[in-house]
Amino acid sequence: MIRRFLGSRALRKFSRDKLALVSLVVILLYLGVAGAVGFFGFIDREDTTDRIGPDNQVGWFETPTVEQRIHALEFYLDQIDGALGRRDPAKALAAIDFFGLRLASTDPDEVGETLDEVAEPFDELYEVLEEDAFDDDPANEERLGDVEEGILGMFVEPEGGAGRFRRLALAFGTDRQGRSILLRALYSIKVAVQIGLVSALISVLIGTLLGGAAAFFGGWVDAAVVWLYSTFSAIPYIVLLMVLASMFLGSSYEGTLVPVYVAFCSTFWIGPCRVIRGEVMKLRELEYVQAATAVGFGRMRVLMKHVLPNTTHLMFINFSLLFIGAIKAEVILSFLNLGVKNEPSWGVMINQSRQEVISGFMWQIGTATFFMFALVLAFNVLSDALQDAFDPKHV
Amino acid sequence: MGALVEVRSLVKHFPVRGGVLNRVIGRVHAVNDVSFQVQRGEVLGVVGESGCGKSTLGKCVIRLQEPTAGEVLYEGRPITGLSHSELMPYRRKMQIIFQDPYSSLNPRMTVRAILKEVLTFHRLASGAALEERIRSLIEKVGLRPEAADKFPHEFSGGQRQRIGIARALALDPEFLVADEPVSALDVSIQAQVLNLMMDLREEFGLTMLFVSHDLKVVEHFCDRVIVMYLGHIMEEIACEDLQERSIHPYTRALLGANPINDPDERRPLTVLEGDVPSPYDPPKGCPFAGRCSIASDRCRSEMPPLETRSDSWRVACFEV
Repeated sequence: MIRRFLGSRALRKFSRDKLALVSLVVILLYLGVAGAVGFFGFIDREDTTDRIGPDNQVGWFETPTVEQRIHALEFYLDQIDGALGRRDPAKALAAIDFFGLRLASTDPDEVGETLDEVAEPFDELYEVLEEDAFDDDPANEERLGDVEEGILGMFVEPEGGAGRFRRLALAFGTDRQGRSILLRALYSIKVAVQIGLVSALISVLIGTLLGGAAAFFGGWVDAAVVWLYSTFSAIPYIVLLMVLASMFLGSSYEGTLVPVYVAFCSTFWIGPCRVIRGEVMKLRELEYVQAATAVGFGRMRVLMKHVLPNTTHLMFINFSLLFIGAIKAEVILSFLNLGVKNEPSWGVMINQSRQEVISGFMWQIGTATFFMFALVLAFNVLSDALQDAFDPKHV
Repeated sequence: MGALVEVRSLVKHFPVRGGVLNRVIGRVHAVNDVSFQVQRGEVLGVVGESGCGKSTLGKCVIRLQEPTAGEVLYEGRPITGLSHSELMPYRRKMQIIFQDPYSSLNPRMTVRAILKEVLTFHRLASGAALEERIRSLIEKVGLRPEAADKFPHEFSGGQRQRIGIARALALDPEFLVADEPVSALDVSIQAQVLNLMMDLREEFGLTMLFVSHDLKVVEHFCDRVIVMYLGHIMEEIACEDLQERSIHPYTRALLGANPINDPDERRPLTVLEGDVPSPYDPPKGCPFAGRCSIASDRCRSEMPPLETRSDSWRVACFEV
């Protein structure tokens, strides 16, 4: 069986399609990340909620503007200043930790001294910036460098694995709350795959069973199922999603993914149900189904063993359509604040980036959109290639 | 001793639904008041053109379809009206071979799986005996043993039909409905499959209802034949008498349409005018009257009863 598969024409045709292979690698990467996050805790939920540094830092290939650099320094100064104002400054200073970035010295006196040293040139720079006169004097650039050195010099970068993790986390910048955009986007892969898998699986299962039973048994069963999906499909899909998702507000399931699953499964099953019903109507008249009846098999056995297994190709197609559909719908739902709660997801990220976009900060919306776009595109390319590969009429 | 299978006034109507409320707005009269007997060991042919209800009749007899009215008796006991579980012993004894070898086998099951499912369901064999039984069945229908692990799409039409026959024979049935078993095959393959069925008939002592639209095949294979037209039996006659003694105008027309083996022989051409009336709205009287050359007014208003002319010869016609 396996050897026959490896030598098959479909596989050869598929492996010639470079684009398809790339999409396959992309999808496997996504699934790998989802598995690493979901099962091995590659990224904790805390990693996606903890501050890693100043808010709205830019990613690795964009040079920060002077304003952004000043803003970052301001953040660090505030942190230290705040700690010094506490009842136990030494302890507060020791508690400063941004993904391993700690103060070199936690002695309040020493830190206070250094702070005083940089405070004056920093204030001057701030004023220059306020007057919009930074570029008038080339010395300003030098002064900024000195201040930066002074403030950042108080911190020690973590080394080894922790250092690499911190640099990775900062690669795509930070959001409005100073959280790592890349880690949030990566964690969202797990959320997306989880929602896609669960919703698509349950929807296809419900659709197959209802559609299959409706077509096979006919009569009132068929009438009931057709009535059910006609009614469901008469309601605009987004409205139904919103109603179902908001139904759970205030219940014990609020904040989990259950409302999302319920909303998706109750709208998505219609597609596979229709398709499978049509196919079973065709299959039940076939002679091997009649032969099974003539042998004496019960109706359920005939349906489960001889009819439904012959609709697996439709189940696969519907599964892949719904998988992508669920991921896209999750983004919409989360954008409307009805979707994922307590966890990052691409929709949540896009929703949060609305204010950032106005001020010209594109890192969050860009990252979330790119991650989603790459997955959806790869999936579509792959399913196209698979269809071509398995189509016997396609050379 | 009575007949193995007896059919009494069998009627099968298919409701036609339509309109907004999906009400029954009419009926297709597929089989109308058909009665006959099949003696043990006999092969009874059923011929007629497409849509005359011969396949429906075959399927009603083994209760693949529920007859609208009438009775089917197996060894004198009625099997119409039996529940699924009451019917189970009869399911073993009555099997069917289908017309289209391309849709009669589940594409996802190997030959072994198909046979195994049937055998284990009726607890006919298990373990080593099961394997032996499968092997011998495959051999009996003239396939090689390695065919067991192949899927249906790996076989030709004739080979698939052999698998269909093996499935029907797996239960060791007494009565077999053959629903046009060779009409979807090439002529050369037809002969092979027919010969196989003849051999198996001898070996298993089968009684058969052989449905076909090909008079030549029926003559070759059957003991007696029923000629059907639009759900009615027109004539019932022994096959050896078919050519010489059959008198119903429809039977004669069918015989006249048969090609002759000799290219030099000439005979008067009998061409039937018109079309088969719709079974949805059958005419009053004899259904064949509209195309019959000797039909009288009586034929058009009254259905002629099936009269016994001699032993195993019955004709439904006023005029002959």
